[in-house]
Amino acid sequence: MKNQSRGWLKIFGFLLLVICVPQAHAAAPIVAAASSIKFALTEIAAGFEAETGQALKLTFGSSGSITHQIEQGAPFELFLAADENSITRLATQGFSQDGGRVYASGRVGLFVPHAVQYQADPQMAGLRSALQQGQIKRFTIANPAHAPYGRAARAALKSAGLWQEIQPFLALGENASQATQFAASGATQGGIIPLALARTPEIETRGQFVLFPTDVHADEPLHQRMLLLKNAGKVARDFYAYLQQPVAQQILARYGFDLPAKENP
Amino acid sequence: MSLRVAIYHHAPELDFEAVIPVGQISALVGPSGSGKTSILRGIAGLLKTRHARISLANEDWDTQDLHRPTRERSIGMVPQQHALFPHLSVLGNVEMALGHLGRAEKRQRAQESLQLAQIAELANRRPQELSGGQRQRAALARAIARKPQLVLLDEPFSAIDRGMRKRLYLELRHLHQQLHNTVLLVTHDLDEAAQLASYLLLIDQGRLLQAGETTQVLTQPRCEQAARLLDIPNIFNARIIETAGQRQLQWGEHRLKISADISPACGKVKFAVLPQNPLLVKSDRPWGSHLENPVSALVRDIVTLGGEVVLWLQPLNMPETRLQVRLPERAIRRYPVISGSQVTVCLRAADIVLLED
Amino acid sequence: MDWVAVVLSLKLAIATQLLLLPPAIIGARWLALTPFRGKVWIEGLLALPLVLPPTVIGYYLLVIMGSQSPLGRSFENWWGQSLAFSFTGLVIASAFINIPFAVQPAQRAFEAIPTELHEAAKCCGLTFWQSFHRIELPLAWPGILSAVMMTFAHTLGEFGVVLMVGGNIPGETRTLAISIYDRTQSFDFTAAGTMSLFLLLISVATIAVSYGLAERLLRRRRLT
Repeated sequence: MKNQSRGWLKIFGFLLLVICVPQAHAAAPIVAAASSIKFALTEIAAGFEAETGQALKLTFGSSGSITHQIEQGAPFELFLAADENSITRLATQGFSQDGGRVYASGRVGLFVPHAVQYQADPQMAGLRSALQQGQIKRFTIANPAHAPYGRAARAALKSAGLWQEIQPFLALGENASQATQFAASGATQGGIIPLALARTPEIETRGQFVLFPTDVHADEPLHQRMLLLKNAGKVARDFYAYLQQPVAQQILARYGFDLPAKENP
Repeated sequence: MSLRVAIYHHAPELDFEAVIPVGQISALVGPSGSGKTSILRGIAGLLKTRHARISLANEDWDTQDLHRPTRERSIGMVPQQHALFPHLSVLGNVEMALGHLGRAEKRQRAQESLQLAQIAELANRRPQELSGGQRQRAALARAIARKPQLVLLDEPFSAIDRGMRKRLYLELRHLHQQLHNTVLLVTHDLDEAAQLASYLLLIDQGRLLQAGETTQVLTQPRCEQAARLLDIPNIFNARIIETAGQRQLQWGEHRLKISADISPACGKVKFAVLPQNPLLVKSDRPWGSHLENPVSALVRDIVTLGGEVVLWLQPLNMPETRLQVRLPERAIRRYPVISGSQVTVCLRAADIVLLED
Repeated sequence: MDWVAVVLSLKLAIATQLLLLPPAIIGARWLALTPFRGKVWIEGLLALPLVLPPTVIGYYLLVIMGSQSPLGRSFENWWGQSLAFSFTGLVIASAFINIPFAVQPAQRAFEAIPTELHEAAKCCGLTFWQSFHRIELPLAWPGILSAVMMTFAHTLGEFGVVLMVGGNIPGETRTLAISIYDRTQSFDFTAAGTMSLFLLLISVATIAVSYGLAERLLRRRRLT
């Protein structure tokens, strides 16, 4: 009886050790990115893997939450934010060796699902009249507290003078991607979402989208900066370089991002 | 060589001291709530008390500084609810008590125990599949498996029906004869104690009232409480008086001679008479000096109860007093007694039991 | 269908069992059989993960395990990677939130063993461990099995705490539940639907098996 118990204990301990001991071997580096560039980055990463044979792990969220995770010690090696503030904050705290680089500029616009009957126009006149007529029950943007695209949306609504009026109807997405999902799902009567996400087939078919000129959200210009973190390995650095090359830039452009000028801080 | 027990406890209230002889079947008798089960558990080492002094022969189980754990005491216990392990067969239950032995020896010893308890044919059954009597046998087999010096039984037959009970009494006595150990049986049934035990301990409200050889305790209660516990209905108030240098009992207007070897002080006293003892004298029979302490009485009530006739007699000029007399039916058959008639009843001096305070 | 996430979820569920169950069983037995003042407070404390929102639990776990905490820092110095956002951190978090699921059923099972059986075991000469191993465990088995099953199912479905403490790192902390969320956010509703159905079926099967087994075991041990 006693020997049997000892046997069980041994198997037990072994299993525990095997499963729980952290994997110390070199795994694919983890790249964290704002959810707005999800599709663009996935395509770029696939190209990188095909070309170099090196694997990457991608994880997406809002810039704010990723920043927070990095501050809590998340093992990311490269961070592509949707703004510059997140990067600056991390750089000042010493999480990187330099200040990073702007890799693209994002655009936002108004999305109106097909089921809803108002016009999507850059000045948001259709939205305004819909609000006045009580057609709007729920309107979605990303959470301005930690998503740059949310801040841009807020800026755009403020410049159109609709911010106060639309407050009671706001449904905040945890990040730009979730806001897009809310907008397209039909649970809301519209939203302000990134151009990059509006361009995807699943979203395009579900409603109208109109792009805002950049000056309506001048407060949040959506200059997107990326940062190599202190522990970045070779593969991460290679990818960082790859992102600045024409093949990557073309993909970004296809998804509606404005590309940075040649010289860059 | 004896089992010395002294237990003082709060809840339940216990103030118990006794010396129990070894090698016999002893019975601890008392009403429910008198603390008998707690005392039994105390002897087994299961009661959480610091004030216990228990030793068996020359082995100390509980002293001021020592509390020997239950498993180190040479005991076997059959609790009231038999407590058989439901996930094991009868054989498994018995073998559980033999954990220290090798597999073959364990099996053999277990079989021996099962044989002794007369339950060997049910060895592979589960407790749920057994009747009440069978479960008690199984629990007993488990209790004796380790060949303990002391076997403790807590009301083992209370849930068994009458016919089976008689069988089990015999089997228990037979078992005891073969094992020569000490058995302490707790019961509230006086008849059961009388049939099984050679040593009797009376307990009430956590205190020992009387202990001694069974027949002696049953016929000679020491105090009123013991007499009531023994269900003796005839407890009377009287006075001890001195006449001509001799002590006598003044009971109402009757003067009774009492046993010479007791010398109580004069004054108020209580006495008891067992209902089987008084002799009924025929009215036409002349007096003889061998008939002691004749008392005239009226027959107030007669009840026949299974071969026995119970009479309630009222001694003359004592209207509130009732003396219960039990006679076998044949005694009345030849000389019938009718309610309301006057009879003479003899209370022999030896049958008058004086009760202490 | 994100098989990496499925495997990760299963690994997490098993690891949680291994880490949590032995202390949970011993703790459950202790709680069942040792009366002491203030026991209610301990039981309440252990039941906290049931009532606290996952965000609160996640927040405090990050405080305890994150890089700014002593625990997190020493882990990083020792293993070279952070405790939060790692599988190890996830196992610790998961074990913590499953405490009530592991302890409560086991405790009830130990409490259900009548005192006379414990005493009978002592009278049979069994030591504490012998009694625990040969009498109590076989009788408390249904409750322990229930604890295993509930913990397993609960870990598979845990979301909030996993997200906060683990992030969403593929192959490391992206469990099945997170993956479903992830796919939904990528508008890949087919994949999300498939994985949700898969998780639903596993959960239902686990609970059904657990209940069925427990019922069967109880029937065997019931005293007439």
